[in-house]
Parts: sequence; structure tokens; C-alpha cells
Amino acid sequence: MKAFEYATAHSADSARQLVAANGAYLAGGNDLLGLLKEYLVGADRLVNIKSLPGLDKIERSKNFWTIGSLVTIAQIEDDVEIKKVFPGLHEAASEIASQQIRNVATVGGNLAQHSRCWYFRHRDTVCLKKNGDLCYAREGENRYHSLFSGNPCISPMVSSLATTLAALDASAVVLRDGKETRMNMDELYHRAWENPLAHNSLNPGDLILRVEIPTTRSRSAYLQASDKHTFDWALVSCAAAAEVVDGKLQSPRVALGSISPVPHQVEAANRFLDGKILDEVAATQAADMILQNAKPFEHNAYKVPLAHALIRRALLKLKGDA
Amino acid sequence: MSNWPTETKYIGKSTARIDAPAKLTGQARYSSDIQAEGWLYGMILRSKWPAAKILSVNLDKARQIPGIKAAITVKDGPQTIRFYGEEIAAVAGTSKQACLDALRVIEVQAEVRHEFVVNEDEARKENSPQVWDGTANAPAPHVRETGSVNTAFPECAAVIEGFYSTPVQIHNPMETSGTTASWTAEGLTSWASTQGISSVRDGLAGSLQLEHSKVRVITEYMGGGFGAKFGAGVEGVLAAKLSKEAKAPVRLMLTRFDQALAVGNRPSSFQKIKMGATADGMLHAFEAENYGTAGLGAGGDAGGGGGGADIPMPYLYPVPNTRVKQSNVAINAGSARAFRAPGNPPASFGMESAMDDLAVKLGMDPLDLRLKNDPNEIRQREYKLGAEKFGWKQKYQKPGSSPGVVKTGIGCAGAAWPAGGGTRNTQGEAQINPDGSIEFRLGVQDIGTGTRTVIAVVAAEMLGLKPEQITVRVGDTNFPPGPGSGGSTTCPSISPTVYNICAKALEKLQAQAGIADARGENWFAACKKLGVSPLVVHGQWQQGLSSDHAGGVQFAEVEVDTETGLVTAKKIVAVHDCGLIIDKLTLESQINGGVIMGLGYALYEERVMDDLSGVVLNPNFETYKLPGLADVPEIEVVLINMPERGVIGIGEPATVPTAGAIANAVANAIGVRVCSLPITPAKILAALGKVPPFVTA
Repeated sequence: MKAFEYATAHSADSARQLVAANGAYLAGGNDLLGLLKEYLVGADRLVNIKSLPGLDKIERSKNFWTIGSLVTIAQIEDDVEIKKVFPGLHEAASEIASQQIRNVATVGGNLAQHSRCWYFRHRDTVCLKKNGDLCYAREGENRYHSLFSGNPCISPMVSSLATTLAALDASAVVLRDGKETRMNMDELYHRAWENPLAHNSLNPGDLILRVEIPTTRSRSAYLQASDKHTFDWALVSCAAAAEVVDGKLQSPRVALGSISPVPHQVEAANRFLDGKILDEVAATQAADMILQNAKPFEHNAYKVPLAHALIRRALLKLKGDA
Repeated sequence: MSNWPTETKYIGKSTARIDAPAKLTGQARYSSDIQAEGWLYGMILRSKWPAAKILSVNLDKARQIPGIKAAITVKDGPQTIRFYGEEIAAVAGTSKQACLDALRVIEVQAEVRHEFVVNEDEARKENSPQVWDGTANAPAPHVRETGSVNTAFPECAAVIEGFYSTPVQIHNPMETSGTTASWTAEGLTSWASTQGISSVRDGLAGSLQLEHSKVRVITEYMGGGFGAKFGAGVEGVLAAKLSKEAKAPVRLMLTRFDQALAVGNRPSSFQKIKMGATADGMLHAFEAENYGTAGLGAGGDAGGGGGGADIPMPYLYPVPNTRVKQSNVAINAGSARAFRAPGNPPASFGMESAMDDLAVKLGMDPLDLRLKNDPNEIRQREYKLGAEKFGWKQKYQKPGSSPGVVKTGIGCAGAAWPAGGGTRNTQGEAQINPDGSIEFRLGVQDIGTGTRTVIAVVAAEMLGLKPEQITVRVGDTNFPPGPGSGGSTTCPSISPTVYNICAKALEKLQAQAGIADARGENWFAACKKLGVSPLVVHGQWQQGLSSDHAGGVQFAEVEVDTETGLVTAKKIVAVHDCGLIIDKLTLESQINGGVIMGLGYALYEERVMDDLSGVVLNPNFETYKLPGLADVPEIEVVLINMPERGVIGIGEPATVPTAGAIANAVANAIGVRVCSLPITPAKILAALGKVPPFVTA
């Protein structure tokens, strides 16, 4: 990797100042160190943010919970209250990477991670996402790529947390230009939908402080399908969340990961499900709606039936044992 | 034929590895742990183009990087690059970062060739770019015929046709390839991660024009080889040259990225098989065309041989009428090398898949079809024993008849390994000290299978001592020469050698000490009579204590989620023979490892190359997928001990049938066959007809 300075920040404002124009925030470092080692990003200065006060806390209130951006994935996985209140979030956390990685990986890092596309990550391919001329995946090896994209790059968003937080209608609170800015998950990734160079909507220097999750939906579920049983990326992931009253869905939301540069959500499907009896027929119809504009490439069409199955399963899982 | 003792205390029983404490505490020094006095890091610059002509390489800027002590090119003049990752230059320096910085400032002038090919089917086309100028990528297939398939097929009651394919599998032992080299006026010492210290010495001596006596190779412990680590390797030669230039030891261990490119792989196979049987289920006609790639050419640094793409067909089964065409296809990719049972896992997968497809067509139980056609008596026993343990009759259901979304299925497959016998020129020595301690020195190496323990077990048995009383030294070319650890030959090479040494040692010790039987409780008294001079006894491999040709069969039970395509291997019953069992524990461990490697081949592993850029897209464990613990099923090892055959190796046959058995279990579960490995969720869903056809825009 290139040489860099190292600094430790003790407040969010000083972190922002220290990171300046060409620095990078360092928390768990899982994504950043890989990017640095492969010379995919160059940072003049790494700003250690692990000592920022208050960002490692999970705070509960009646209407919403806040989870600090330095909370580790393992903390989420192990939190018994989260398991009760946001079971989908617990499930998503427990599927991420390996125990060792979960122990150090943070919420902020998970949300801000860069594309895992193997062309983007390869040291000797200069693809569209690296300011090159073309997306190699479109005509190439695209088995892990998107079914939806608003731009020629088809590398998908792979954050399991973002997928689940989208279904829970959570927001990320981002420190931008000295002010706290709220972005829902669609907003947090929207730039990647339209701009091949973007991995998310964060500007240089933006710092995710926390996520806020409304408690409106007492039922949630997360499922992912992978090639392997553990420590593998999702081929497709799906989260669903809703309130269920008398067998009927209220405020349901479904989001998918690994099939679009953003958490894939179809508001029409959410509206369709609202008030419906939760059954196989409704789930199937919703799945059809959510996937109807999918544009598979040569090697990723299998993601369509896979996503369809996960949508149905995630929705039906909201029934719980009742 | 076997002269092994019939009543045993250690042979055939379970002895824990004598070096387990050293390994568990980190005391065991692996090749990558070696820190020779004043050592430097070594690193290789690789081609970022799959095809190019290197005109010049300027190392000046690299040499100016602080900490860099040496920089060399692979070739003196222009170099033709034929695959992405081919070695161009190397540097040595005081830190990893200095080397990385140096590699980035090496100036390479090249004519980049945009014509290259990394896909087997493209490479076979007439107008394909040629990997070797003026030579067709795919030479005319060689044909082997017996009987007449043309007349035989019409005589068959059932005929199936299938196209079975296997991917290129990358050599990924836990320890990557590499070495620490120290080249001084006295000669060259190489602490290599190798499975053949002798072949590495010969290779280094040849490449560097040194006398063999001036090259010493040491391998105390190494982290796996599987066929990739017989030769010195480009990296081994570069490390030596860097050491000479830097006047310091150089440690050049490859990165995982490097490992994916240039140190060998298992060739792919594309097997078009047509096979027919008479109404009673006897195989009658077999016609096959197979092609595969060994990269730019087989066995660039084979050492252990067997790097080609040909496979044994029709594998285990005699068929009176056969026609087999095979050809190697060159592509712009790193060359193949021997890989645990070269040719056999793909052959087993293809043929055993065809057997199950034929069984379906005949309406026969696939196990019965095998019992009918496999002439090998040992495998017949193994099938019957395994079926009993596995519960085949109770579990077998017609393909696809398992109810529900998650379906279960079972399958089986067989293995053969024609080698696995002893290497005749194996030698060794023992030094018996007056205090009763004894040290064995053999120029063999432990590839990780428990070679030291095997030596200790045999010696303890022969001398009436305990394994922990035996000191074993291996992995040094200063010791009497031993075999390469490949072809499942180590155990049948060293066991008879140690037997021979022990027999001679007892004879001499008894004569010198004047004791009729120096074994066991008399041992120390006898040794004491040696006075002040230790007794050194030289021995060698002897006839009659080993043989070859191990078989083996495996049974697999799987669950397949027909909506997500996820295959879960639930259970593998592995029934194996390897003659006389020496140490049951290390033997079971090898079989477990073979099954897990076979599981990876069946479900996860595959080198993915990009047609447009020519790079390997998955040079890491993130996307080159290997089984993790959660993927590994319950493995039940069932052994047939056959002391009358003497010692036979087990390394290769243990991995041969796993993929075929799993593939058959998957087909049995879902009622359709996934014809290509690895069997991924994407392929399961496609086989089930759930994937919408791809339409080009």
C-alpha cells in the first residue's frame, strides 16, 4: 500500500478535519485495508475513529432505536433485545462474514463498504467503476452481479445490514459539512444507482454517526442464499418487515441485496401488501411485482427465481409462530 | 507375501502424531517460518498481460528504493509472455513494503498482444488466437479403440448420452509455494515448502549449474503440496539468484494471489460420453470424446508428472467395445501440474455420473449396476460393506421422488489408484546410542500426512519400544535419499525401509551386545553394551512389504433446497483399503482430508477466467470458494485392513470418488442431473428449469 499518515480523532468534528480531502476513516478496517493493499484507494491519512465518544452505543426508546456507527456486527448479533425487537437485523448480522470479522466490523463500515465486484477488486482490470471505459461484467463473468441498475455498471450493493435497515425503514445519520443529515437506505445508496464511480451517496469526508430504526414494525426477517453455508457473500439477500395484526400486514416493506447497486425496493409492492392477509398467494404476487423489471445477464438469471423464493420465504416468516 | 508381524502393538492401531505438540505449540518450523540470519523478503513481478512480448525490463528505479538489495529479471533477453501472471522479474529487500514499492517502479517495455484465449471452447476453434505460434491449440485427438462401438450400440437395450464437465481446480494448500534460499560460496541451502526435497535439489542444481553436493534442501515442516510442490519452481530459482546477488538469505513465499496463477492446477475436462448396456445391465459399448486444458501446456514444472488433461476412460469398468478420443487444449493460462490423483477425480465424476444416468434408463438401482460391472473384488466388498453401514437399501428412492421443497438423495462412486506402491531407491539410517536413544534419519519429507509418526510406529513395533521413544529426523537432503511425497507412495516407501533398518539394527546390536533378543525390555541393556560408540545402521526399501493399487468407494447423502439451489452434504461414508494399515489415526485423517477436498471439487471450487482481459478473476478465498467447517458433512471412515497385501498409500484414492458420489446424490434428490462441476445453486436452479432463458438485448 502507499504510505499514509495516521491520526486518532477524539471528536466527530476533529475526525472530519483530520480526514481532510484525501483521508479515510478507519474503524474495523476490513474493507479499507483490502482496498489500500490492492491500491484501489489511496489515502494520505487514515483517521482512527474508534475512540469517537458515543458511537459505540445501542440506545433504545419507545419509537426508535439508535445504533452507533462504531457498534460491531457481533454486538448486534449478540444483543438479546435486538433479537426480540428486530429479529431480521439479528439474522442479517449473524450471516455476515465470519465471527472474527464480525468481532471488529462496524455498522458504519458495513454500510459504507465498496463494491465486491471481482472486476472492481482486481488489481489489473480497469473497469468503469475505476474510471475505465467499460463494465467488464456486462459481457463477462456476471454470475454475482445485478439484475437492476440505473447505469452501465452492474456491481451490486452487498451490505446485509443496509438490506435489512431498508426493510425496517431506518435512516443513517451522516455528519456532512458540519451538520447532521438523515438519509434513508435508498438515499444512502442512490448515487450508485446512477453513477458507476459511486459505491454509495457519501461525499468525501462524510461520516456515518448512527442509524435510527423505527419500532413501527415488530416483525422482521432476513434471509440470504449463498454458494456456501457460512462465510460467503449472498447471491441474493432479502429482508422483510411489517406489523402483523389479525394476520394482516401493516406498513410492510421488502428489500433485497446483491441484485442492484442499491437496496432493491419496489414501493408498489409494499403498497400492494399493505393490509393483505399474509399468505403464499400475496407473497407470490409481491415477489412478481418486485422482480418484474429484472434484466438478467448471461450468467445471473438464476437470481430471479432465487430472489422470488427468498421474498416469499421472508414474507411468510413474518407470520412467526403465531 | 507380507512379512509384517501379525500380532502388533502399534501397527494398525491409532497413534497420535508424535509431532502434534510441536505443531500445536508453534514449535514446528514450517518453510514459511524460517528466519535465516539477515534474511530479506523476496517478491515477484508478474505479467499483467495474458500475451505479450517483453522487450526490455529496467530495474534501475527498483534498486533505488530504500531497503532493496537485489533485483533480477527472469530472462536475460526478450521474453514471450503466454499467460497472465507469468514471472518477469524479482526483487529482494528488507521489508515487504520495500519490495512492493520496488515492483511498482520496474519499467517494462512490452508489445502487448491483444490476441489471446482463455476459454477451452474458444481455443478449439480454427480461427482462435494461438497460444504457441504456428501450433494449433488443440491438436487432433488421439483415439483408442477396442471392439466395435458401431456394431455394439445397436445391440444395447439402453443407451445414454451425456456431457459432463469439470473446471480447472487451483492448487491451494494452506502454505503457499516458496522457499528461503541462502546462496554463499559454500553452496546453496533452500528451505523449501516442498513435497520432494530430492527433486528440488536436482532442479536447483540443474537450473543454477551447481553440483548436487553443493545444494542442500531442508523441509522441516510444510503446509501441504498435493502435487504442486515437487520442483524448485520459478520462485525457488529466483530466490536463489536473489540471494546470490544480495549476499543474504531471501525468503520468497508466494502470496495467495500468486498461487492462483502460476504454480499449477488440475486440468479441466469436457467429457462427451455415450454408453450402452444390454438388458441385464452389462456395459456393452462406450464412446467418449474428452478435451480439457492444462493451461499453456501440461507439466511446465511437473516433477511428479501427470499434469496433462487426459483422463482414464471408461475408468473402473471393462467395456468390450470402446472408442475414446482425447485432446489437450492450450489456453493462455498457467500450466497444470500433478494434482492429487491426476486424471482420476474428473474421470470418476464423468463415468460415475454416466453410470447413474444409465441405471435410471435401465430402471436399475445404481449400486446394483456397479456390482454387476465392477470386476474388482475389493471394491465389491467395499460396496457391500459401505451399503450396509450407509443404509443404502433403506435410503434409496427413485430419482426426484423425495417429497417437499428440500429434497434428499443418495449416491455412490468408486475409485482406483494404480500407483501407491513403494519407491525402490528409498534409503535411511538409524543411529542407536549407548543410552538407548535412537534416531532415524530419512531424506523423505512430511507433506503433512504424518510421515514422522509412521516411521516411529514401524520402528516402535519392530524394536519393542514406544513411538515417543523414537526420534525421527526427515526433510534434509543430507540424509539418505528418500522418495517424493506424491502418488500415494510415501508410506509404502518408508515403512519397508524402516523395517529393513530395524531388522539390520537388531541383528548388529544383538551380535555386538551378545544378547539373543535386544527388543523391548532388553533394549537398554543391549545398547549399554555398545560402550561409547553409537551404532549407525543403513537400510533400504525391501521387497515383500508393500504393494500398490488401492481402491475405495464412497457413499453420499445430500439435501437440496430446490428453491435456493443450496446443496447440503449430510453424510459421507468412505470405505477404503490400503493394504496393511500402519497408523489408523493418520490414515483416517488423510481420508477425511480427501473427502473434504472432493467436496470442494464437487460443490465450490472453480478457477474463473475473464475472456476479455485474460485475468484470473478469483485469485483469493473470497471468490475461489473452499469448503468451510459448516459445509463439511459427517464423515464415516470404514477401513478394510489387508495385512497380506503389505503397505499401500491412501492419499489419492481418498479424494477420487467424492465428487461423483455427491453429484449422483444430487441427481437422485432432484431427479435431473447437474452435469458440470462445481454444482452451484445457479446450476441447480437451471437444471430444475427455473431460470428464465437469457435473451441478448
